[in-house]
Amino acid sequence: MSKTVQKKKTIKPITVIIYIVLIILAVIYLAPLFWMLSVSFKDNAEVMAAPFSLPEVFHFENYAQAWTLGNLGIALLNSVFVCGVTLIVSLFFGSMAAFAISRMRWKLSEATHTFFMIGMMVPVHCVLIPLFVRFAKLGLTNSRVGLIIPYITFSLPMTIFLLTGFFRSMPGELFEAAAIDGCGIYKCFFKIALPLCRTGFFVSGLMTFVGNWNELLLAMVFISDPQKKTLPVTLTYFVGPYATNYVQMFAAIIIAIAPTVIVYCIFSNQIVEGLTTGAVKG
Amino acid sequence: MDKILRNKKAICIFIAPSLIMFVLVLIIPMVQMFYYSLCDYAALTPPNFIGLDNYKKLFFNDSTFRIALKNSIFFMIFSGVTQQIFGLLLAVLLTNIPRGRNVFKNIFYLPCVLSSAALGLLWAFMFNPKIGINNLLAKMGIEGPLWLMESTGFIVLPMWVIAFVALWQYLGQNMMLYMAQITGISRDIYEAASIDGASKVKAFRYITLPLIKPMVVTSLSLNCIGSLKFFDLVYNMTQGGPSHRTEVLATQLYAEGFNYFKYGYASAISVILLVMCLIVTLLVKKVIKVETYEG
Repeated sequence: MSKTVQKKKTIKPITVIIYIVLIILAVIYLAPLFWMLSVSFKDNAEVMAAPFSLPEVFHFENYAQAWTLGNLGIALLNSVFVCGVTLIVSLFFGSMAAFAISRMRWKLSEATHTFFMIGMMVPVHCVLIPLFVRFAKLGLTNSRVGLIIPYITFSLPMTIFLLTGFFRSMPGELFEAAAIDGCGIYKCFFKIALPLCRTGFFVSGLMTFVGNWNELLLAMVFISDPQKKTLPVTLTYFVGPYATNYVQMFAAIIIAIAPTVIVYCIFSNQIVEGLTTGAVKG
Repeated sequence: MDKILRNKKAICIFIAPSLIMFVLVLIIPMVQMFYYSLCDYAALTPPNFIGLDNYKKLFFNDSTFRIALKNSIFFMIFSGVTQQIFGLLLAVLLTNIPRGRNVFKNIFYLPCVLSSAALGLLWAFMFNPKIGINNLLAKMGIEGPLWLMESTGFIVLPMWVIAFVALWQYLGQNMMLYMAQITGISRDIYEAASIDGASKVKAFRYITLPLIKPMVVTSLSLNCIGSLKFFDLVYNMTQGGPSHRTEVLATQLYAEGFNYFKYGYASAISVILLVMCLIVTLLVKKVIKVETYEG
């Protein structure tokens, strides 16, 4: 004990060096983001003349223009809808599968787990064309449902992986006690396993949400109707025709990343903690 | 109790939804993709079996594919090496500081949750020949390169720029995985080692490194697969240009499939992508042998 107290009092030079390195790195990480925020408030002439100074006047109208030009309102709603439905369904399906794999006793449980884990290795690119052809025949391209189905499927491996870890970490006596009290398997799942797994849901839910919120390729291929596009696809508009309108592009970027930044700032500690418990145990 | 947990019907009900989605959206399309890759298949005509012609054309007659393959492999090796080394280094630094660990951890992980499509636009602007970084350099009297417009060299400059941006964005992921593993190692082992007179460097070499090996396998394979299927940043920073010099497998696949509607040809590219992912994963598992330690 006394040794550790002493250690804290004397600051070693190596610690100082580590802090300096970390602070420089932190600046490299945060500076581009703040710079982007500052540019989004300038006008185009000011960006060209002095890109790295702080804005002289705050041009809030950039945001309004980006909002209407890029159809960001609709895109935001689409993203929320697609990601929200994906989140709920994939958590529900994933938790059921994870529960059966981790808590129930059957011969093929390990094999099933491995089978789902293979899904993590398969890039979404590898099913893109057949899926597009099939969905075009079924009338599912250009529809939000057509986007939600592959999103759920590709979110399942991660969800099952994390939730299996969480279910395995629960004490088995809980379920035994419940069974003695006459609890059926479905009651065990809904009344005991699910409520106890809140951290797990939280973590895998956030991973799923963030992953799909940022997904670009599938959304670009499957949706061509501007009324149904999600946020990342909408942003690619600013690469082409509006490419010289930098300030609006930056305002649009800020609008697009704001939700994830806000969610991250509120929950970052839980995400980080939960991610690590899930990953190590699973 | 045992009887309840062996309830076959319940198991089926629990597994079925995920399994059905997996088979319908992943397995069947994958098999179909193999078949399409052997076909001449333009969007409007039905697939016509032509054997290995698509592959022959890819490997012997397509200079863009060769560039894309080269860039993807470069990108995978670059990210694999740098992200693992710096991720581990950062994790070790962060576990060794007395205060502020969470603040730094959250800052370094932040870009991982942001849209790479959006960040691609930001960095494309930053490396604009006239405005961003070159403006700073000009003030110091240095004339900067054209960055994303340069098109000479074995690995063109824009590819390096994209690789560094990807390093910036995804380093936090590896750092987190390693931190999780390092904080999971029991303090007792280090204390015992320091009583025996082992230095910090030795403790790292003989305790930390062997014990985090399983995480190296996970993190490295995720890393390699992630960089092979890389799309967003390239698409939004260069769109494969100048003159296809920054094309990677994913961007070429997208262009062939959905700009030129050569479904068969694009399928062949995705087969190659999938095979590469599988080979890399197996290779990582083979090369880094994981021994299990007790305790």
